[in-house]
Amino acid sequence: MIARWILLALLPIVAGIALTQSRRLSAIIGMGLFSFMLAAVYLLMHAPDVAITEATIGAALVTAIYVLAIRRTGRLIVVADEVPSLMAREGDHITGLEYEILEGFAREIGLDLSVRFVPLRRVRWLIAHHEADMGAGGIVPLADIEGSLSATPTHLKTGVYAFPAGKAPLEAPDKAPDYEGYFSELASHCQNGTLSTVATSLDLARVLALSRTGASLGELGRVDGAFGYAFLVGKRRTELQRDYVDYLHRLRTSGRLDDMIGRYFS
Amino acid sequence: MNKLRIRTVLAVGIISAFVVLVALAFASDQPVPADSQQYLARALGETGASNRVAGIYLNYRLLDTLLELLVFSVAVLGVRHYLQQSEGMSLPALSESEVLQTAVSFLSPLALLLCAFFAIFGHISPGGGFAAGVIAASGLLYVAIAHGMKATETRLNPWRLALAEKAILLLLLAFVLVPAAFGKIPLSDLLPKGTPGQLLSGGSILIYNILIAMKVFIGAWLVIAAFAQHRGEL
Repeated sequence: MIARWILLALLPIVAGIALTQSRRLSAIIGMGLFSFMLAAVYLLMHAPDVAITEATIGAALVTAIYVLAIRRTGRLIVVADEVPSLMAREGDHITGLEYEILEGFAREIGLDLSVRFVPLRRVRWLIAHHEADMGAGGIVPLADIEGSLSATPTHLKTGVYAFPAGKAPLEAPDKAPDYEGYFSELASHCQNGTLSTVATSLDLARVLALSRTGASLGELGRVDGAFGYAFLVGKRRTELQRDYVDYLHRLRTSGRLDDMIGRYFS
Repeated sequence: MNKLRIRTVLAVGIISAFVVLVALAFASDQPVPADSQQYLARALGETGASNRVAGIYLNYRLLDTLLELLVFSVAVLGVRHYLQQSEGMSLPALSESEVLQTAVSFLSPLALLLCAFFAIFGHISPGGGFAAGVIAASGLLYVAIAHGMKATETRLNPWRLALAEKAILLLLLAFVLVPAAFGKIPLSDLLPKGTPGQLLSGGSILIYNILIAMKVFIGAWLVIAAFAQHRGEL
């Protein structure tokens, strides 16, 4: 009898906890717990058949279906090109400035961050085709951003460098096997002889990576203008853009962004 | 944020009111309605099922249960029909962790075993075909989550399953009409009642439970598979 009263008193409390969770997975688990407790109440009321049904449907099947439903919507799916110090694999985890920013942002909006590394040109395609939420990995929003994409405000200043036409180091992609997909764009342009056009979009991080390969960078010149790294978002994702702009603003005004930059680029 | 707070207050209020009502119902000493007393007293002898709940919904109220199954079938049909119209997405398969795969390989056979137990012993202990079917579908859903929908579907052809689901419904309907051939009222139970508590007791309830478990299992799985196809890989 006492157990029944305790369970009954706990039911609205568990329901309240489940409803107030900002993280969807926690809310679903709270709901599953509510179902389990309700099943226990039924059992104590000598209705084992109803208890079994409540436990199988409420706690097992419905919870599993909700978990499935949030597997995509409950994740902030980020596709990124691998760039050292910004977004790169280190052992079995990912590290870098952009990863830290996005991880904090995902937590703030109650989602789990899921990063997939893809070649740079796939980043734009995946965002444009709604298969990912944000694109990252040293993206410098130049004038050639496609119609269905938009860039967030920049979080880190950078420079853009260009080789004079025909002077690009053709051996560079072969010398940088460490980063999968890192030079894939460069490689395809090497093969079809249009390297000079793609080389103009080399940003500081990629120039640094290129210099580590031992490629000759003598002819490289800085392009005039103010450039910065940003993330790519689908043009229609206005709510996500607004949330991110707010988050970045708070990160900047609180000084935490400068701390992060200091840690990765000191 | 404000909206969420209002909704939370409302929801907690409604649940609290519900719990208070249930608690008051507990506390008050209301007489049990005469009909239910009668059912309790006569069910064991008349149905042969020691689980009175199964005795009632698969004997006295068999027509209600059949209509419930019909509603379930229509729901499955509707979901499959409307989701087939829209084009499925082709997304890269998400790989699952080894922990989940190992846990699933342990849990799914257990779910199937539990399904069999609830279906076969549904007339003598708590359980029954509906709960059994849902448990098996959940077990298969966990397999699909861990190993991917495509891998699961290659083993279970949805088209054949849909056919089997309809066939089971037809079999059930034919089974309840058999008494008519012997000049009895349809839905009446012709099989011997047996000794309550024995496996072979309760007349046709055992057969109904097994058929319902299979039907609910297939139906629930088809709905899940249709949702997964529509949304993409599980």
